[in-house]
Amino acid sequence: MKHAVISCLHANLSAVEAVLGDIDRQGIETITCLGDLVGYGPQPNEVVELIRDREIETCQGCWDEDIIDGLDACDCSYPSQLAERRGHIAHQWTTEKLTYGNKQFLASLPTSIRRGRSFFVHGSPNSQHEYLLPDMDAFAALERVEMSGADTLFCGHTHFPYVRELGNGSIRVNIKNASDREREVKEMTLPIRRIVNVGSVGEPRHGGVNATYVIYDDINSDVEIREVAYDIDRTCKAIIDAGLPHVFAWRLSNGFEFAELAEDASHVCER
Amino acid sequence: MGSNTWLISGSPGCGKTNWILNNLISHKGSCCFLRLSGYGDIDQQQVASTDIDYAFLKDQIPQLIDLSRSSADSISHQDDSLILIELPQFRIPKELGLAGIDPRIIKQLATFNLEPDKYLHFGRDMELPINDTLNFNQIESCRFKLHRNVWDPPSLNTFWFELVNGAYGDVYRAKALMNIPDGRSMFFNWIVSQKGSQFLPLNTVSPPSGRPTRISELVVQGKNLDSVRIESTIQLCLLNDSVLELHQASLRDPQMQPSYST
Repeated sequence: MKHAVISCLHANLSAVEAVLGDIDRQGIETITCLGDLVGYGPQPNEVVELIRDREIETCQGCWDEDIIDGLDACDCSYPSQLAERRGHIAHQWTTEKLTYGNKQFLASLPTSIRRGRSFFVHGSPNSQHEYLLPDMDAFAALERVEMSGADTLFCGHTHFPYVRELGNGSIRVNIKNASDREREVKEMTLPIRRIVNVGSVGEPRHGGVNATYVIYDDINSDVEIREVAYDIDRTCKAIIDAGLPHVFAWRLSNGFEFAELAEDASHVCER
Repeated sequence: MGSNTWLISGSPGCGKTNWILNNLISHKGSCCFLRLSGYGDIDQQQVASTDIDYAFLKDQIPQLIDLSRSSADSISHQDDSLILIELPQFRIPKELGLAGIDPRIIKQLATFNLEPDKYLHFGRDMELPINDTLNFNQIESCRFKLHRNVWDPPSLNTFWFELVNGAYGDVYRAKALMNIPDGRSMFFNWIVSQKGSQFLPLNTVSPPSGRPTRISELVVQGKNLDSVRIESTIQLCLLNDSVLELHQASLRDPQMQPSYST
């Protein structure tokens, strides 16, 4: 059976509608959402309500967490003062616009979803704020999947879609007992694991302007990364009409993210 | 050999300042520089007098004399001096040679007791490079004074990227001197017809203590420029006193302290 996995909607209603339309046209009924329904974009209530109406199983993203906790991302997660201040503007605007009911919905979301041998998170099993980048150290990547106890770990957060197979993995451990001069070496071979990053519906970061998501076939384990064109002008107009920074519209229409990519994307906020 | 006084004109970004720099550097005698205010048509706003060019040239040629800061009487016309006068001018002069100088410019020059021996215009005279000369039918100009301001470096990087890629209007030309926390002043130079930006740290570095007093400003020329949003984005990028002190305190650590030329 085919499943669709979407993430990082970022209050971009036009993009969400286009992606859900693409999923519907393929007759796919199971959709999982990996969070970040809100943040930066101009239609937070509309997007949350669409996800609620469609009863799409969703886990909580970092922006969802920040909005409901009344917290803002700490300074260390922004790559520049400019990005931080723009993030604060977006956070404050979203906090003011989002209804109490929709905040309650975001608060109720789980941080992970398990379905068979698949595990779904926003960032990583460690944290909604941790980025699993495609070039992450293989051992660390394998450790994250093992931590989830799954064969396939679905994540978002980076906004960059990719499929990474971790094959022929092995862990070698040197064990030295205090009572024993000899070192004991243990080696464990691990089965193939996979990380599937589904990209972003509302704030793509793959070099183009199209929304991305993933279709997963649990019969043959095929993963398809799909790109969907949407009415960007509609979203840009809504950004400007909402009074959000004009530069958000400019960046979105040029295939840049709303803010900037963090230089140290592997950093996890310890807040 | 007598003194040479040349008037060099051209449209924004044609390479006047770089050409002047190269000629002054290669000149063995004393060097003088003067930047005049140009005259544009209704659709061609000239930049209000900017100090960027002189500050940049002075950094590269410390012995350079700025004629705008000297009284006319004190200008010594030594035999070996080279006086280069920069004039922003969009249109090609109607007449060749000295006859092509706008009477209003002659009037400006008279206040400095200057009379050019030669007049060269980019895009007309073969002594000057012509590969990067653009013709502008309509151009707006904005100038942002940044005196005593210091940028957050990653924010400056993002702002410049957005600026020259059209986030605040169609920019044809952008030039700036901007302070960063480690005491350096960065010369930023960009024109639409050339690939990439020129980033050059000035030779003169200020100690990382408080706000620098040297010249700092940004000049942008283009079409449909949104000066209000440029200004508001700049404000988001500038460091306040406490953050600046945080940056500078770490640089004042003896083990991390750079050497300063002044």
